Amino acid sequence: MRRLVHMFGGPGGLAGAILVLLIVANGLAAPWIAPYNPTDVDMINTLAEPSPDHWFGTDQSGRDVLSRVIWGGRASLEVSALAVVVGLAGGITLGLLAGFFNGGWLEQIVMRTLDAMAAIPLLIWAIALVGILGVGPFTVLGLTFGNEVKLLVLLGVLYIPTIARIVHTGALGESRANYVAARRLQGVGSVRIMVSDVLPNCLSPVIVQATLLLAIGIIIEASVSFVGLGVQPPAPSWGNMLADARNYLFSGEWWLSVFPGAAISVSVIAFNLLGDGLRDALDPRHTTQALTA
Amino acid sequence: MLTVLLRRIGFSLLSLVFVSAVLFALTRAIPDSPARIVLGTDVTQAQIKQFEHDHGLDKPIVAQYVSWLDGIFIRGTLGTSFITGRPVGPDIVSTLPVTLELVVEAFVLALILSIAFGTISALLRDTILDYAVRLVAVLGVSIPGFWAALLLIMLLAVDHDWFPPGGFQPWSAGIGAHLDSIALPVFCLGIFYMAVLSRMTRSSLLEVLGLDYMRTARAAGLPRRTVLIYALRNALVPVITVAGMSFGYMFGWALIIESVFNISGLSYALLTAIQQRDFTLVQGIVMVFTFIFIVANLVADMTNMSLNPRLTAVSK
Amino acid sequence: MTEELLRIDALHVAFGEREVVRGVDLRIAPGEVVGLVGESGSGKSMSALALMRLLPTGGRISSGAIRFKGQDLMEMPQRAFNALRGSQIGMIFQDPLSALNPAISIGRQMIDMIRAHQPLSHGAAMARAEELLTLVGIPYPKQRLLAYPHELSGGMRQRVMIALAVSCNPSLLIADEPTTALDVTVQAQVMDLLDRIRTEFSIAILFISHNLELVAEISSRVIVMYAGRIVETGEVHDLFAAPRHPYTRQLLRCIPRLDGSHGAMPTIPGLPPRIGALPPGCPFAPRCDRAEAICHNETPPIVWHNRQMAVCHFAKEAVPA
Repeated sequence: MRRLVHMFGGPGGLAGAILVLLIVANGLAAPWIAPYNPTDVDMINTLAEPSPDHWFGTDQSGRDVLSRVIWGGRASLEVSALAVVVGLAGGITLGLLAGFFNGGWLEQIVMRTLDAMAAIPLLIWAIALVGILGVGPFTVLGLTFGNEVKLLVLLGVLYIPTIARIVHTGALGESRANYVAARRLQGVGSVRIMVSDVLPNCLSPVIVQATLLLAIGIIIEASVSFVGLGVQPPAPSWGNMLADARNYLFSGEWWLSVFPGAAISVSVIAFNLLGDGLRDALDPRHTTQALTA
Repeated sequence: MLTVLLRRIGFSLLSLVFVSAVLFALTRAIPDSPARIVLGTDVTQAQIKQFEHDHGLDKPIVAQYVSWLDGIFIRGTLGTSFITGRPVGPDIVSTLPVTLELVVEAFVLALILSIAFGTISALLRDTILDYAVRLVAVLGVSIPGFWAALLLIMLLAVDHDWFPPGGFQPWSAGIGAHLDSIALPVFCLGIFYMAVLSRMTRSSLLEVLGLDYMRTARAAGLPRRTVLIYALRNALVPVITVAGMSFGYMFGWALIIESVFNISGLSYALLTAIQQRDFTLVQGIVMVFTFIFIVANLVADMTNMSLNPRLTAVSK
Repeated sequence: MTEELLRIDALHVAFGEREVVRGVDLRIAPGEVVGLVGESGSGKSMSALALMRLLPTGGRISSGAIRFKGQDLMEMPQRAFNALRGSQIGMIFQDPLSALNPAISIGRQMIDMIRAHQPLSHGAAMARAEELLTLVGIPYPKQRLLAYPHELSGGMRQRVMIALAVSCNPSLLIADEPTTALDVTVQAQVMDLLDRIRTEFSIAILFISHNLELVAEISSRVIVMYAGRIVETGEVHDLFAAPRHPYTRQLLRCIPRLDGSHGAMPTIPGLPPRIGALPPGCPFAPRCDRAEAICHNETPPIVWHNRQMAVCHFAKEAVPA
């Protein structure tokens, strides 16, 4: 137990880790734990208050709010996690290359481009670009993807500068370390040194940053879905559920606004707690940035 | 000092050109031709050709981009809408003030409160006040502004009638009515950044307070107030950097908040433009926001350079 | 007894359960220069920081008495202490780059300090600052007032630190390893400056260093600390001629000599004991070349020889280093 607390940088971090575990489990097990089908309409039983049958009540189409919150969590996690995966893939590759081959034109081009990319306000661009591209599903190479895939790719690309800068700083320091020179003398190739020696040594702040990006991703997905440009109805997402709830602010159906919003907040708190804890445990010098979007 | 400043400004301009090119390329990557959006699906090839010729869409993409840039930087029209046939500049200028007011007020409030709270929290570390500030900060970064908006409308506007549930009253409608109408939006917009920035102020100040030069200041027997100023001059540097970014980001959140409170500002205009598929207007608005974002970052950097002159030496 | 400027009795400093200073006695007369020598972790800096109420978080004075000009410093309220700190006791630190606020100009730092303790106008304080910079040998003092610490060289920064510390005419200056971060040539200049300051201001100095040779250069009396305790004190020439504690002896052997005798530099084998894991008996015994069975088991006695004191079972043996 004490070791666990230490691993996650304190009791807050451990609480965050447990919550995150539950959120991930919820996302994976949504089809089995949701009591109803989230898109099943029941026009006789619309806007029902929370009851033993429907713990979180039902919405304007009689759909079970609890089931929609559970499935919404799956959608939210999908977008935020895959966006981070895209950001990590791009950011680690570019950051490593720029940091390892430092002093050359490659570093200059990569880092200046990333600096310019950092001049992009994230949320506005996400909304505007999804708006321009249209919210329908799209087909690439014969595979059809939902609208949220556009959002996650976009987010992922905009995460790249943040991740790449951290990796760049780390790799810069590592590439000058003596052990790298020693590996070079042993005749080990650059790519292998980068991946098997340099990368593991600058990964800690990246893990911390990725956790904090997950929290931001959840909020952004909810926001973009809230204005109708994210997950498309009838598929549930916390954001589009809240958009529906807006029509019932005056008539007293509080459960429509409270539960999806609480789900967002709990998830964001969980990832933030975990991120802060990991930062204390892995990155005591706080090389990662506080994040805003 | 001057060279550093000029370099920063030059780089900001380059970023703006780069970012505008990306934006332009992306808007041209849409499957639908603007002609189809404007004229509908039931048109002949000849009509489309004519439309594209009229609006210069048959020119090479680079030429189109240059003419758009010319529209932005030289003529200030921000392009001409295919939908309305009018330059989009005036539309933007007419809705910008509302959004700007919301954001500026939320920003100023967030910045002042966060520095005050963060400082109190750091100075009174591990006291009840510190825990309270930290709790508010954790909640603040975790509650999305638009959800807070929904809850506050339900609780304060519907249940208690303390504030109007939405709409925007201009100054001309009376100061009281105006302030009432913007109180909730400003709060919902500012709370997130208040939380982020107070956390940063706290941790940055705690770090600085442990440094050697703060020990020197205490050894010098300086009054508490002076000691605090000495610390803040250094501790606020990262806070101001993030604050600069936050100012630009707030226009994004303003979009959501304006939509919740039915305020027709520029952000709301962006949503309408998207619905009407008026891409010139979308491009124009996004360019304005990006420009504000870049300028805000620049201003933050310059503030930091004047606050802490060592930064000009480091960035050489 | 002569008038004492500073008198510390049985000072104990602890971090939680770990005592880093274990019973230090110290007396400084007005205008006297006392050297405090020891390895890092011997508690020499912690004693000084405790005196200045500048202990790092977690550290506290667990017992002891500190009197300055007859006033009880431990009972003094924080306000009064803050007025005394800086004006009557100045302090300079090891690394002048990290010890000077990077965001504030030299002039502003000096003026703020002067005006915190003296009822001077801004202009008068500025004139005083300029005068002080001239005094510590900084060329173009007027322009330097506008400079920031990063714009000066290491030696210049330490001169500024000294000017700052003596700006309110203190009667005691605590110099905590003031030359350790500097080049050897610059080190010599700073030592000269300190010596000049001492005569000019007739200021008492507590000079803290790990370097016994440096301490001897400026001090009249030396205190040697080991593992949180004083192991030997005495007049500089007595101590150098006949060190009575084996630790002092071994420290003296580590001073490089210019008499042409080549050969490996002697060092003291082993490491200082970890605080909290002190061996029974004499804490230096495991590293001592003179240690016998008794040293490992029994706490050594305090042995006085004229004005020289040593804490050792064999302190009666005066062996030249």
